[in-house]
Amino acid sequence: MTAASRVPAAWRPAAFVAALAGYGVFAYWAAHSTLYIQGLVLVAAVFGMLAVSLDLVAGMTGLYSLGHAGLFALGAYATTILYNDHHWNLFLILPACLLGVGAVGLVLGAVSLRVSGLYFAITTFVFTLVVTVFASDSTFTGGYGGLIGPIFPEFPSWLSWAGQSVIWACLIALLVTTLVVLAIRSSPLYPVLLAIRDAEPFAASAGASTAAVRIGVFGLSAAIAGGAGWMFAFQGIVSPSQFSWQVSVNILVMVILGGINTTIGPILGAVFITVFPAQVNINPFWQEVLFGALFVGVIVIFPSGFVGLIRLIGRQIGRRLGLAGPAAPRVEEEQPGIVDAAAVSAVARAEDHAVARSNGSGPETPAIDCRDISFRYGDGPLVLNGVDFTVRRATIHGLIGPNGSGKSTLVDLISGRLRPGGGSIEIEGVAVDREGVTKRVGHGVARTFQSAVLVNELSARQNVQVGLYSRVPRLAARSLAWPALPSARRDGRRLRQTVEDSLAFVGAREWGRVRLADAPHGIAQLTQLAAACAWGPRTLILDEPLAGLAPSEVEHAASILAKLKSSGVSIVLIEHQPRFVFALCDEVTVLAAGEVVASGPAAAVRSNEQVREVYLGQ
Amino acid sequence: MMQVLLSGLAIGAIYGLVGMGFAIAFYVTRVINFAEGQLLMVGVMVAAWFARTGLNPWVAVVLGILAAAAVGAVTYLVAVRPVLAFDRFSFAWLVSTLGVALILENGAALIWGPTSRSFPALLTGTSVHVGSATLTLQEVVTIAVAVAAAIGFELYRRRTLFGKLGMAIAHDPEMATALGANTVLVATAAFALAGAFAGLAGVLIGPITYSNPYLGDTYGIAGFVALMIGGTARPAAAMAGGLLLGILGEAANKLIDTQASDWFPFVVVVVMLLVLPEGLLSVGAPFRQAVRRVRSPAGATG
Repeated sequence: MTAASRVPAAWRPAAFVAALAGYGVFAYWAAHSTLYIQGLVLVAAVFGMLAVSLDLVAGMTGLYSLGHAGLFALGAYATTILYNDHHWNLFLILPACLLGVGAVGLVLGAVSLRVSGLYFAITTFVFTLVVTVFASDSTFTGGYGGLIGPIFPEFPSWLSWAGQSVIWACLIALLVTTLVVLAIRSSPLYPVLLAIRDAEPFAASAGASTAAVRIGVFGLSAAIAGGAGWMFAFQGIVSPSQFSWQVSVNILVMVILGGINTTIGPILGAVFITVFPAQVNINPFWQEVLFGALFVGVIVIFPSGFVGLIRLIGRQIGRRLGLAGPAAPRVEEEQPGIVDAAAVSAVARAEDHAVARSNGSGPETPAIDCRDISFRYGDGPLVLNGVDFTVRRATIHGLIGPNGSGKSTLVDLISGRLRPGGGSIEIEGVAVDREGVTKRVGHGVARTFQSAVLVNELSARQNVQVGLYSRVPRLAARSLAWPALPSARRDGRRLRQTVEDSLAFVGAREWGRVRLADAPHGIAQLTQLAAACAWGPRTLILDEPLAGLAPSEVEHAASILAKLKSSGVSIVLIEHQPRFVFALCDEVTVLAAGEVVASGPAAAVRSNEQVREVYLGQ
Repeated sequence: MMQVLLSGLAIGAIYGLVGMGFAIAFYVTRVINFAEGQLLMVGVMVAAWFARTGLNPWVAVVLGILAAAAVGAVTYLVAVRPVLAFDRFSFAWLVSTLGVALILENGAALIWGPTSRSFPALLTGTSVHVGSATLTLQEVVTIAVAVAAAIGFELYRRRTLFGKLGMAIAHDPEMATALGANTVLVATAAFALAGAFAGLAGVLIGPITYSNPYLGDTYGIAGFVALMIGGTARPAAAMAGGLLLGILGEAANKLIDTQASDWFPFVVVVVMLLVLPEGLLSVGAPFRQAVRRVRSPAGATG
């Protein structure tokens, strides 16, 4: 939810132009102001770029990088050294910085993301330490004293009315950075990034190679930090103390202080942290103490930062004036609507399309064919032992068994999250043993998870959009300029339509705009189902899709599954409610303690003595 | 060589104590208290201050350690607990504990001035000969106290209910609370103990460094590196990490150049991170656990 999303759509271009014009006026003023103010603007703009780039990784993908001061240093030192010692053209150095530091970021990301989260923060922290220590102790970097940076070329005479060129340059650089991040935020990649952050298995099962996307985003962020370093070199002196690990933490503070995962927040934070100490003239020790108290106070009392505070105040003013209605979305307690016939046919069309693209194997080839699967976690006991599991096309195949019988493990093996210790898995006649989750999506396999794994801060619509990741070609690259691309506009319309159809198909269209955090559990389950079948999979694996649903909701879900089956989708259904399973499924496999107890037509399995004993307890 | 080893052990014991301070707070709360180095400084400054007022230096030293422990406990209550109460998986404590570090460092500079002041000399006079090497009595005591503290803590953690409670809370605070554990009390105690370790390190190094408000930075980083080498599975491993770091730093000073200890430890850490991403001495396991929880709070699949 960006601030822009609350502006009426028709006004958005006008508001954008007005904001741009205001920014231009500010730049003109700054470019004609005193040297002191220009110095402040330059530093604030550079830190604005850094904060925006850090928010890209910290806010959108949840990676708290403490390496940004180091990456920033690489850009600044490279610029100064290439210019002073090797006499490169300054405008050739900029792309070199972006690409070079971006490449360093990719390597650093690839190395440190082998294990994620806190480990990533520590590795990047050490990276910054190493860069600064290296810069302090080497002679070609000028040691502790540092180097004198290049001077930014003046405007040519016909542009001299514009004032100080370096001010324009840094403000344009900040603008471009912000626009790139804004483009990503408004693109369909944004929900996918948040899914990688909060619900990684969900993103992976939608076909996103989560590791590659994370590393790629970090690389982009690193490139921007390199660009900020290039800009910073024109500020005068480049020395190690300007890039210490405290600077890394400061950039993180700017992001959190301003408002993490917001467009404008990191810039506000950067401006505040840069300008406040320069403007408020008090005892420097007192000032630092105040700063520390501010860090603690904001985090403890107001963790969503300035932007959160502004929104809160805005909402209260709006409420007092009676302008805006209550901010909470309209949530009506109503039964999910009747399935829309048009929507069903739309999804069914997608199915036909999917079947047409299938790899030519005949309808007799099973959708899933597992042979002699065995698996153990680490060197623990066998969780699955010699399991054969075959799902015929366009059937619903129930997979039941007591807790701990290996149902979810078997499903994880089929979808590629785990690799079997022995045996083979074929999807539509193709051996997939060597393929990961992402590739198996290419065989038309979609799945849901036991306890709905979704992004709670996004709406149902945005969550369904995550499921469509594999249907938008080259999404990651195009997201950098998404709002400006004509092809993106077309894709965006198609995407919105598919999302609507898919939500209507599961009967949750009413809930499309509601944040999942505010929606009941049943809606989360339906959203998960909608996300899984939105892109037209041929095989659907549902891990306890009925858990926690009310009886009427169970019936509703059953009708959805029946419709999917009739449109040719093969379904694996893990379930605990035996009555429901035998009524709905064509075939049933019973697992107990990692072995198949019985498998076959539902009626036959139901009357099997052994099954009654181990599972039904009769 | 013997001299390098022993001097390394003496300085490494200080790193190890600070590293254990990081680890003790981390193993209960999964929070890295970035003000840990500043707690060392608090210990030094307070001890020096009391000594200047004419108090018996031994009493002053004990008061210094207690002050560091008290500040550690307050840090938890003011800057960490509210953050975790808001979102147990957030990293916002990165910022709030750094804020505490800023307050402590500059507050000390405000109160006692930014320059170095004297510290009561307790044991420096005498020297001890070990083979070809010479150590001050202070250094010998430092090594002995640090190793005793590490062993004592580890025994306490494993043998007493209170120590085991820490592990239970780290694993699942909600469950531990449901079973009747007072998580706030245990976590506050852990932060206080972490502060006491830093304070202890402070009064041991004080006679060499004198009292200075900026001591926290240097020893904070060294302690953090010790933590990374040693790992968090067993807080006492941070002591091993600190001793190793101390020896490596001294060796680098001797063999490469006199400034080498500024950067050599980082090279060691980088190589370690590259070759052993899981960490030396099992740094990986609890980190990975914390990481996994952060990445999939929904609990993923069953």
